Amino acid sequence: MARGGENRGRLLLIILIITSLFLITLDLRGVSIIGGIKTGTQSALSPVQSFGSTVISPVRNFFSDLIHLGRTRSEIQALREENGKLLTQIRERRGIDAQLEQLQGALDLAGKAEFKVVNARVISQGATTSFTQTITIDAGSDNGIRPNMTVINSYGLIGVVKTVYSSSALVSLTSDPSFRIGVRVAGSQQIGILSGQGSRKGVMQLLDNQSTIKVGDILVARGSVNNRPFVPGVPVGEVTSVDNAAGAVTQTADVRFFANFSALSIVSVVLRGPDSDPRDALIPAKPVPTPIPTVTVFVTPSQSPSPNASGSN
Amino acid sequence: MSTRKISLSALLFFSVYLAQEAFVTQLHIGGGGFSLFLIFALLWAALSTPDIGALTGFVAGFLIDLSQSTNGAVGQWTFVLILVGFGISYLGLGYENVRMNPFTITFLVTSSVVVARVIYLLLSLLLGEKVGSFASIVASLFVGALWSAAIVPILMPFVARAYDFIDDSRHRL
Repeated sequence: MARGGENRGRLLLIILIITSLFLITLDLRGVSIIGGIKTGTQSALSPVQSFGSTVISPVRNFFSDLIHLGRTRSEIQALREENGKLLTQIRERRGIDAQLEQLQGALDLAGKAEFKVVNARVISQGATTSFTQTITIDAGSDNGIRPNMTVINSYGLIGVVKTVYSSSALVSLTSDPSFRIGVRVAGSQQIGILSGQGSRKGVMQLLDNQSTIKVGDILVARGSVNNRPFVPGVPVGEVTSVDNAAGAVTQTADVRFFANFSALSIVSVVLRGPDSDPRDALIPAKPVPTPIPTVTVFVTPSQSPSPNASGSN
Repeated sequence: MSTRKISLSALLFFSVYLAQEAFVTQLHIGGGGFSLFLIFALLWAALSTPDIGALTGFVAGFLIDLSQSTNGAVGQWTFVLILVGFGISYLGLGYENVRMNPFTITFLVTSSVVVARVIYLLLSLLLGEKVGSFASIVASLFVGALWSAAIVPILMPFVARAYDFIDDSRHRL
């Protein structure tokens, strides 16, 4: 009996080994049934594995963090440093973008007026100790800049070059209290004198007592002999209020300068003005208001029930 | 073998196989980790007679061959586990001090895991598969043995109780 059992056991072992070798042969010969079984099993197991992955994920992450604690810390540190560098780059990029925008605007204006300009970066601003409104630019006599040259940016007049050094120049801003400029009202051609007030607001006084101005009038530079200190046609500002005092000889008006003096980064110095006065060609176009979408709702009242309909039964 | 034995064993094997595929393979344990199913099958074989050990090896090997993580030919693990399943059950047969001693069972199963992997490796080489560098193979075998030595004592009581329940016999481990 024991021998019979032993023989049966050996036979089973041989059968199993032959079967396994048969399976190997079939698989190596690329029999599709074997491949199909494997593919089918894997397809059936995929949802279970997905579920398992979801369940195990927190545990796996925990152990992974535990094992790679030092590496994780150094990675976090490296990522922080990289993040800091990227943030710095983004901030620098924003500044560069703003400068580029200003430069493009100034060049557009200069190109339209056919000015020959030198672009410069504002390297310092203001002289609070002397109560003057000035900026220093990084271009000077080496770049062809001379005193009394007009300085503009994309919005219009900025000021006049006051002092020139070899590689820098001091510019007196239009907002400076000592600043005076002859201006012309675009369209009506009335002339006046605009004075700086130490802020973005200026005061204009008309020269002719017969002339009148109104809110919204645009002022441009009248221009000087040989285009110095002012080239003609450069937009200066817009009238915001008019003083119609009865005793005044001529009208005065408050003017808001187009240029924002607190956000200057790139300016252009006009080396050579236009051959002819551009007149009102440089006045910026009025912004077109964006239409606000409106929604119209039509309500059709429902037919009111007739008195006969209620309680008719 | 009764229908009850076969069906319960199949259910248990399938459950452990699913646990292996769904959870253990997802853990990404260092050094290649361990195969819960392989350890379970060899533990089961160690408690069985050589016939059942070989049959257990056949079924377990075929299931491992179908696993997504197995790259070799279908039948390769089947062949290996028939031999190792038979061997481990044959070694334990008649030596009650082997079966009833947790340390010897742990040693036997851990050794069997290493032997099974070495045979699989040799078979892969014979079949012309790439198996990696010698150093990586040695490291993998060593780490696998360590993991098996750690897992077997934990798994052993459950497997022994399940085996007793299905076999209706008592193996005091």
